[in-house]
Amino acid sequence: MKKIIFFLLPLFLFNSCGKIDLFPATSLDIINEIKNYKGEKVVLLNIWALWCVPCVEEFPMIVELGRKNKDLEVIFVSADFEDEFEQVKKFLIRAGVEPYSFIKKQKDEAFIEGINPSWTGSLPFVVVFSKNSGSIVDSWEGKEPESRFEVAINIALNS
Amino acid sequence: MHSIIKISIFLSFLFGMELEIGSSMPKRKLVLNDVDGRSISLSDIKGKEGTLVIFSCNTCPWVLRWEDRYLDIAKRYIPNGVSMIAVNSNVARFQGDDSMEEMKKHAKKMNYNFIYAQDTDAELASAFGATKTPHVYLFDKSDKLVYRGSIDDNARDAKKVEEPFLENALDALLANKIIKKTTSKALGCSIKFN
Repeated sequence: MKKIIFFLLPLFLFNSCGKIDLFPATSLDIINEIKNYKGEKVVLLNIWALWCVPCVEEFPMIVELGRKNKDLEVIFVSADFEDEFEQVKKFLIRAGVEPYSFIKKQKDEAFIEGINPSWTGSLPFVVVFSKNSGSIVDSWEGKEPESRFEVAINIALNS
Repeated sequence: MHSIIKISIFLSFLFGMELEIGSSMPKRKLVLNDVDGRSISLSDIKGKEGTLVIFSCNTCPWVLRWEDRYLDIAKRYIPNGVSMIAVNSNVARFQGDDSMEEMKKHAKKMNYNFIYAQDTDAELASAFGATKTPHVYLFDKSDKLVYRGSIDDNARDAKKVEEPFLENALDALLANKIIKKTTSKALGCSIKFN
């Protein structure tokens, strides 16, 4: 995170008037952010968009998972278009995401391949990374029940 | 609990299995109902030079952004022997936004100049490994898959496209040349299977 803040400091300051800071990010930025939690927390990466109904439907459940589990870091990445930056911020604030989040700033193909080559590009997309090794425990496309999230998180906590 | 995740992982794997380049067109005899009231199959509509299948729907913002290019591609390539069909496999919305009535309205409103049909049980999408809309599959005249993926690299603005992946593939197919980029990826709405 420190690296991202350093490179995006001007943007950080510009956007700091809201309750959340939304960082435009490439897949590499996101992967580096995830690496920061290796050995400390399970990471749940959720790539979503305002226009994606299943993404919005499951969003509160994922926020709540992050709230109730201190060993879990939830990283949301919006795949909305850049002109929806303010709407994304408003949505995140309403959903209680804080203190910062991310929005994609890269062409689709490079972003998808950089995040996970097995991802076809369908949203929502979730990847769960283990606490200790930082390796991928599970990933899926589309809306899933809370039980699947919980199972994956439990496995990730112990691997 | 672990059995749930095993099943889910298996399903993810299954739906993640996109049709490989060089594969034969699956389910070519499967009956699809189109917005003009016809019952057709991919075999029925096969083009002399190739067949373009686009998994699509009525409301996905990515479809709406790319839809102008659907029309241009149809106008340019159908007269050259490539048949084109947009297939709606959003079974979970067939009682709502993606009903046949809504599909008819959408096709009329957008002046569709190609076939628009419903994949009743999402059998075609499952067989293709299609996961999202739009998701493009181009077959040659022997019904072999020669290109799979997205239309181009800019959903937002046709004028700012740098790589027209599908057009390049179509041009190469018609010129009997090697398609340099046979797959591409873009974000899209998940197909609502059930």
